Amino acid sequence: MVFRDLFSEEHWRLRLLYGAMLAMFGILLATLWRMQVAHGKTYQTDLVRQSVRRVRLPGMRGRIYDRAGRCVADNRPSYCIAVYLEELRRPGRWSRTIDRVDTLIDELSAVLEIPRQVDREDIQIHTRRRLPLAFLAWRDVDEIALARLAENVLGEAGVDVYVEAVREYPFGKLACHLLGYVGRAEQKSADEEPYHYYLPEMGGKAGIEKVFDGVLRGEPGGRLVRVDVSGFRYDDKELALAERAPHNGLNLKLALDFGIQEIVEGALADRPGAAVVVDPRNGDVLAMASAPGFDLNEFAPAISSERWETLLKDPAKPMLNRVTAGAYAPGSTFKPVVALAALENDKATPNTTYTCPGYFSLGRARFGCWQTRGHGALNMEQGIEHSCNVYFFRTGLQTGLDPIYNQAAALGLGRKTEIPVDFEVPGLIPNDAWKRRTMNDGWRDGDTCNLSIGQGALLVTPIQMAMLTAAIANGGQLYRPRVVTEIVDDEGAVVRQFPPVVANTLKWVPRNIRLVRDGMHDVVMSPRGTGRTAGVPGLDMAGKTGTAEYGRKEDGRNIAWMIAFAPYEHPRYAVVVMVEDAVSGGTTAAPVVKSILAGITASDGKEGEG
Amino acid sequence: MNWARISIILKRLDWGMVFCILLLLAVGILFIYSAACRGEDVPSAPFHRKQMLWALVGAGFFLATAFTDYRHLRDAAWWLYFVALLLLVLVLLVGKEMYGARRWLNLFGIQVQPSEFAKIATIVVVARFLGRPGRSLDEPVRIFQVLALVGVPFLLIVKEPDLGTAAMLIPVAFMMMFAAGVPVKYMLILGAVGLLLLPFGWFFLGNYQKERVLVFLDANRDPLGAGWNKIQSGIAVGSGGPTGKGYLKGTQNVLGFLPRTVAPTDFIYSVIAEETGFVGSIVLLILYALLLGSGIRAGLLARDKFGRLLAVGVTSLLFCHVFVNMAMTIGLLPITGLPLPLISYGGSFMISIMIGLGIVQSVFVRRYHE
Repeated sequence: MVFRDLFSEEHWRLRLLYGAMLAMFGILLATLWRMQVAHGKTYQTDLVRQSVRRVRLPGMRGRIYDRAGRCVADNRPSYCIAVYLEELRRPGRWSRTIDRVDTLIDELSAVLEIPRQVDREDIQIHTRRRLPLAFLAWRDVDEIALARLAENVLGEAGVDVYVEAVREYPFGKLACHLLGYVGRAEQKSADEEPYHYYLPEMGGKAGIEKVFDGVLRGEPGGRLVRVDVSGFRYDDKELALAERAPHNGLNLKLALDFGIQEIVEGALADRPGAAVVVDPRNGDVLAMASAPGFDLNEFAPAISSERWETLLKDPAKPMLNRVTAGAYAPGSTFKPVVALAALENDKATPNTTYTCPGYFSLGRARFGCWQTRGHGALNMEQGIEHSCNVYFFRTGLQTGLDPIYNQAAALGLGRKTEIPVDFEVPGLIPNDAWKRRTMNDGWRDGDTCNLSIGQGALLVTPIQMAMLTAAIANGGQLYRPRVVTEIVDDEGAVVRQFPPVVANTLKWVPRNIRLVRDGMHDVVMSPRGTGRTAGVPGLDMAGKTGTAEYGRKEDGRNIAWMIAFAPYEHPRYAVVVMVEDAVSGGTTAAPVVKSILAGITASDGKEGEG
Repeated sequence: MNWARISIILKRLDWGMVFCILLLLAVGILFIYSAACRGEDVPSAPFHRKQMLWALVGAGFFLATAFTDYRHLRDAAWWLYFVALLLLVLVLLVGKEMYGARRWLNLFGIQVQPSEFAKIATIVVVARFLGRPGRSLDEPVRIFQVLALVGVPFLLIVKEPDLGTAAMLIPVAFMMMFAAGVPVKYMLILGAVGLLLLPFGWFFLGNYQKERVLVFLDANRDPLGAGWNKIQSGIAVGSGGPTGKGYLKGTQNVLGFLPRTVAPTDFIYSVIAEETGFVGSIVLLILYALLLGSGIRAGLLARDKFGRLLAVGVTSLLFCHVFVNMAMTIGLLPITGLPLPLISYGGSFMISIMIGLGIVQSVFVRRYHE
């Protein structure tokens, strides 16, 4: 090397050139530091946002059991045939991939010998909205199709079996209104972290399923799915580890006894009406039925829209839960309330006697007794036994509106019982204020007469009457109807208990309630009692019938009622039966009560033996 | 050439540079494999295998050029230059059109890019012109003469169109003039005039080139179209973080956010940066800095000015490619389709850059006046 060259200007220039290159590299390095070290997290977030999708996994819905431990709302596996689009993708236009899926479904349909459930448009919608998820080409296929699938298709790319849980109601129609049904849940996103995709989840749409939806629905889990630039799922094992498993929903234990429920629904025999059996000792609803009903399994996994239309348009209103959502005039079943109001307010004594000539004149108006030839002279107990209208017109007028109103309100009429159902009406106890408000007219004695025999504007629901009957049966404890007794987890541990709740305690004078109960005892047990047809051989019981007119007077349509409790001394069952469009309480409702109590007594006997 | 001569040449070879080249080639093959990988699947397109072949062929050219005395190039300079121009004209006439540009020429069944060889030929002819003993460079006319030499291939390559490759010739020519001793004031004046004229160049740009410049200025202008690669490349590099996601663990290319067509070629660096992070970026820059340093050293030690300018020219070309490619990957420059030397997938550029490095070696080997 020539010495001179090293220090020549050219060498200086070369070194400067190299220095400039290194300086430019320095700019690159500084930028890389900023991107990879200082702001690396931001870019990582961007990356996750564009390539990771969150999928919500619903928990298994909780089951519902009756008081004997029978499962009355269950889940069954439903086998679906899933198509995985990422394994069938075709390069180029989307329609090529859709064509391929479409062809595959055609081929499957031929091999499995099942008709297609989805059309090309469904595939397109799935491609647009739920691409990384499995596409369910068939839902709820039978074993034969599954066997054909296993034999001929499984192992081929892009097709697999997918199991979904579907609600099942082993008792079909029994307690359909109370249990309610499920449907596809709405995606609630306000209270939880947003997901990109939601797997279908069952949500309660009516009855217990709806009221206790939050308990029955499990804790959702989540799964992360990696998607590629086209949105197809990309199998990423590391990401799959991040899956959070959903938790099963909690189970409910009902106060209902499906053995009794079956007896009750059998006794009603689909006549439009309702029947309730409660335990007067704690307010447990042992059975509650509204007729006609519907098969809950029609709703799982989904009801057809035609069938839904039919149910809604049926004049017998099968979707109406008459027990809580139907309000009716109670007729003579209200008379024990009037009797109690009179006795408690010293407006009547057991010996108060009125004579019934078959009618009662109030000014120019004439109120008839159902017994047109008259009952003659009656005391209180006989008045109840014979359900004499004239006796109660006079007792009612003697007592006045307010004591009757207060007694009815104290027994839970005119307001909701707070039974956990999705729809309950409060009924109505009319009074002066109500009449002025709605009819612009003051309360008259004629209104008191109507009220005294459970007619006029008075409206009650069968569940209210059941709780009222239970209170008379147990001597004054008005319970809140108890439908759900416990919330139980998967292991059977009790998460929450619902103890009986006393809504009101009526401090009746013992002599007074004894008198009313005696009257009700005579109704069934006396050979001339209006409810004697309800009598069950060997069972000491009490009751009260009622026949309320409804609709236009000239149609002459009656609602038949009967309230009853048994055994008379230590009642374990309070029963209410209401039948629409009937002859009378004694003729129509009493035999229903009889078959209910006879059935319960028979099964009690069997249990006693066993 | 006898064995004694061969052993002397082997002894005098810059083994440090050879080591850098081998490392960079290995990095290239490894990450071309990664860029073509789809998860656990074997790459569908055997890019990395072809790249190995190109590296071997390139190594052959490298050795052949290193062993050939660079001084023969002085005599062949004009011939090379005219052949290169001829090929550039030919590509415009019968070249194969791809993606709206004619850049490829079918030579005996092999697709070659004449523009890559034209760059080397232009460097040789400029080195000969500026390195001619006794030529005074103090006259302003020299600059215009050099620019004329560079301008002809420049315009022919622009016509393909391949503006990125053509544009590389300008800074390389300036660096060579600077190294040759052209007065700085002339170059500053010319550079200033050039910068003033640059805005008028806008009207000569094609629509997609204008779009690239606009996207460079604002990536969100067309995030799903022209801005896509810039955004996705940024996400790939940035999400690599300090230490990267690990070899074959990058997702941007696997999931197709970084388009599969550019991941092994122009955007190979974003694959490397995603998988090796800042640490890998530093290592890569150090390797290139060492390679450039050995090129400059060859220039410093060259026995004559022609050799020195050859070494500077090739080193400058290498630098421009590395800088522009990495700068575009990290969003410092508009997207230009320039490959990363020794790493990006592609045959023509690999061979031309290996020939260039072979010339540098040839200069280095013959540094002594014997």
